[in-house]
Amino acid sequence: MNGRIVATVYRKELLELVRDRRTVISMVVVPIVAMPLLFSVMNWFMSSSEKKADEESTTVAVSGPLTMPGLEAALQSAGFQLKTTSDLRAAVSGKTAAAALEEVRSPGGDSQLRIYDDATRPASEKAAGKLHEAFEHLKDRQVRAALSSQGIPEKVLEPFGVEDVDVAPQGTKGKKFLGGMLGYMVILLMFTGCMYPAVDMTAGEKERRTLEILLASPAGRDEIVLGKILAASTAAFTTATLNIFSIAISFQSGFLGKNLRELMAGTRIDGSAIALLLVAVLPTAITAAAVMITISSFAKSFKEGQSYLSPLIMLVVFPAVIGMMPGMEASPRLALLPVFNVSQLIKSIFAGDYTAAAFLVSFASNFVYAAVAFAIAVRIFQREDVLFRT
Amino acid sequence: MIEVEQLTKTFHDKKRGEIHALDHASFAVNPHEIFGVLGPNGAGKTTLLRLLATVLKPTAGTATLNGHDIVREPAAVRASLGFLSGDMGLYGRLTAREILAFFGRLGGLDGAALENRIRDIIARLDISSYADTRVDKLSTGMRQRVAIARTIVHDPPVLILDEPSYGLDVPSARLIENFVLEARRQGKCIVLSTHVMEEAEYLCDRIAVIHEGRVRITGTMDDLRAATGKTRLREIFLDLLGIAQQSQEARV
Repeated sequence: MNGRIVATVYRKELLELVRDRRTVISMVVVPIVAMPLLFSVMNWFMSSSEKKADEESTTVAVSGPLTMPGLEAALQSAGFQLKTTSDLRAAVSGKTAAAALEEVRSPGGDSQLRIYDDATRPASEKAAGKLHEAFEHLKDRQVRAALSSQGIPEKVLEPFGVEDVDVAPQGTKGKKFLGGMLGYMVILLMFTGCMYPAVDMTAGEKERRTLEILLASPAGRDEIVLGKILAASTAAFTTATLNIFSIAISFQSGFLGKNLRELMAGTRIDGSAIALLLVAVLPTAITAAAVMITISSFAKSFKEGQSYLSPLIMLVVFPAVIGMMPGMEASPRLALLPVFNVSQLIKSIFAGDYTAAAFLVSFASNFVYAAVAFAIAVRIFQREDVLFRT
Repeated sequence: MIEVEQLTKTFHDKKRGEIHALDHASFAVNPHEIFGVLGPNGAGKTTLLRLLATVLKPTAGTATLNGHDIVREPAAVRASLGFLSGDMGLYGRLTAREILAFFGRLGGLDGAALENRIRDIIARLDISSYADTRVDKLSTGMRQRVAIARTIVHDPPVLILDEPSYGLDVPSARLIENFVLEARRQGKCIVLSTHVMEEAEYLCDRIAVIHEGRVRITGTMDDLRAATGKTRLREIFLDLLGIAQQSQEARV
C-alpha cells in the first residue's frame, strides 16, 4: 500500500466534503448548534411549565363552606384560593380548578378529606402535593395541641432521629447525568455527522459516475478505501470534537439556564476531561466510518445509501441510551461492547471515576473493531457485484 | 502495445443465470493505432474496456497493456492507461486544476513536474480561463476538455475511450475527434468504443464488431468491406449483426 496515494485520496475526499453544503451542515453546524439549542429549548420548556404550574396550582374547588376546624385557614395560609362549585370532578377535568377538595364523613363519624386531581396535568399534580403538605402541617399542629393538652411531651412523636448521609463526592450526581447524556449525544451526532460523507464518497461517487474513473486510476482499491475511511473518520471525529466543545462551552458559560444548572451543580468540564474524551471517541469514529463506507458501498445512489444507513443510526441509539441510564455501570464484559463501552467511558470521564484499565480495554477493543471494519470495507470494495451493481 | 488473449468475463445473475458478457475475445492493438470497438447495447464493449482497465477481473484469458498483465500487474496496467468515458467522470465540486493535480499525483507526478505538466495541459487544451472554476459550473464543452486533460495528465501510452462523444453536440464531438487523432500522432495506442458509425469510420485504423460477447470480425475498413460486400460502416455493422442473428436462429 502506497501512503502517498492514500494521502492524495484522503485530501481529495476532504476537499470534496468541505465543499458539500449537506456535509458541512451535518458535520459542523449541527454539532455546534444542536446542544445549545436543545439546552435552551429544554430550559425554556422547564421554566415556562414550572411557572404555569405555579400560577395554576393555587385554585382549589370545594362544594361548599369547609366545616373542619382550622382547615380553611390552613389552606388560605398555604396560598390557595377556594372556588365553590357543585361538580368537583368537572371543575378539575374542565381545568377551572387545579384540584378539588371534598370533606367526607366516614360511617364512624371520622373526618376524611378527599382530593380530586388530574395526574396528567403538572399544575393539578402540584396542587395536590401542596394540599397534602398543608394537611400535614394542620395535622401536625392538631396532634401537638392534643398532646400538649394531655401533658404528653411532643418528643413521643419522634422517639429517635434519622439522618441520611450521601457519600458521593460533591457534584458526582450531576456529572453522572451529564456524562451519560453527553456520551449519548456525542455518539449519536458523530454517527449522523459521518453518514453524509460516507454516502457521498461511495454511493454518491457511483451516482456521479466518478467511481469508475477512480478505479481505473493507478490507485489501488485498498488505497482508495483507506483514503475514504480516513476522510469519513475525520468527518466523524470533527463532528464529535465540535460537539464536545459546544457542550463544554454551553456548560461553562451558564447557557444552561437555572433548572439545568442546578442539576449540574459542582460539574466542571476541564481540559483534561475534554482531551480524554477525544481519545476515547477516536477509535469509534474510525469504526463508524469503516462500517458506513462498507454499507453505503452497496447503494447505487445517494438516496439509497441514506436509506441503508438510517437503521444503523437507530441501532446505535440503543446501546448509547442503555449507557446513559443512571444505574448502568461498566463491567469487563460490557467494556467490549461497541458503542456502549465508549458511552460508559464518557460517562465515567465526566464523573471522574474512570480507571486506566477500563479506558484501555474500551480503547483497545474499539481499535480492534475499527481494524475489523476496515478489513471488511477493503474486501467489499474488491467485489465487482457491489461496485457495479445495476 | 495491447495483446488480448481469449479474454472472457462471465457474470452470475440470480434471475438470468450465467451471462457471458465477453466470450474468448482476442486481438492486438499497436502504438500509433486507433482500434474501434463497435457493438449494439449490451454487446460487451464496456465489459471489454473495464477488463482492460483492470476495473473488472477476467473469468478466463488475459491481456497485456504496455507489457503488463492485467491479472498479475493491475497497478502497472492502470499507470499505463488513461480512461475516458462519455460520462466524463469529473468531480463537480473540484476545479479543473484540482482534478488534474489529483489524477497527476495518483499517476506518480509531484512537485515541479506535476505543476509543469498541469500548466502545459491547461495551455494546450485552452482551459486556462476556467481552470480554477468548479467543474459543476462549467458547460458540457468545457467539461469535455477538462475530462480529456484528466485522461492524459500522467501521459499514459494507452488510451481507453468508452463512448467519449456520447451525448455531445457537433463542436464538442469534434474536440474529441481532434484529441484522438492528436493522441495517435503522438504514438498512443487507442481503444475507442463508439455507437457513432461516422466517427468510427473517420477515426479508426481497425475495427472490431462485438455482438453477444463475441468478437465477430476484426480488420480495417477494407477488410470489413471485403467480408460483407458492403461499402458503408453502418451497412457493414447491420449486416454483421444480421449474420449473427441468422446464425443464432440456425442454432435454435
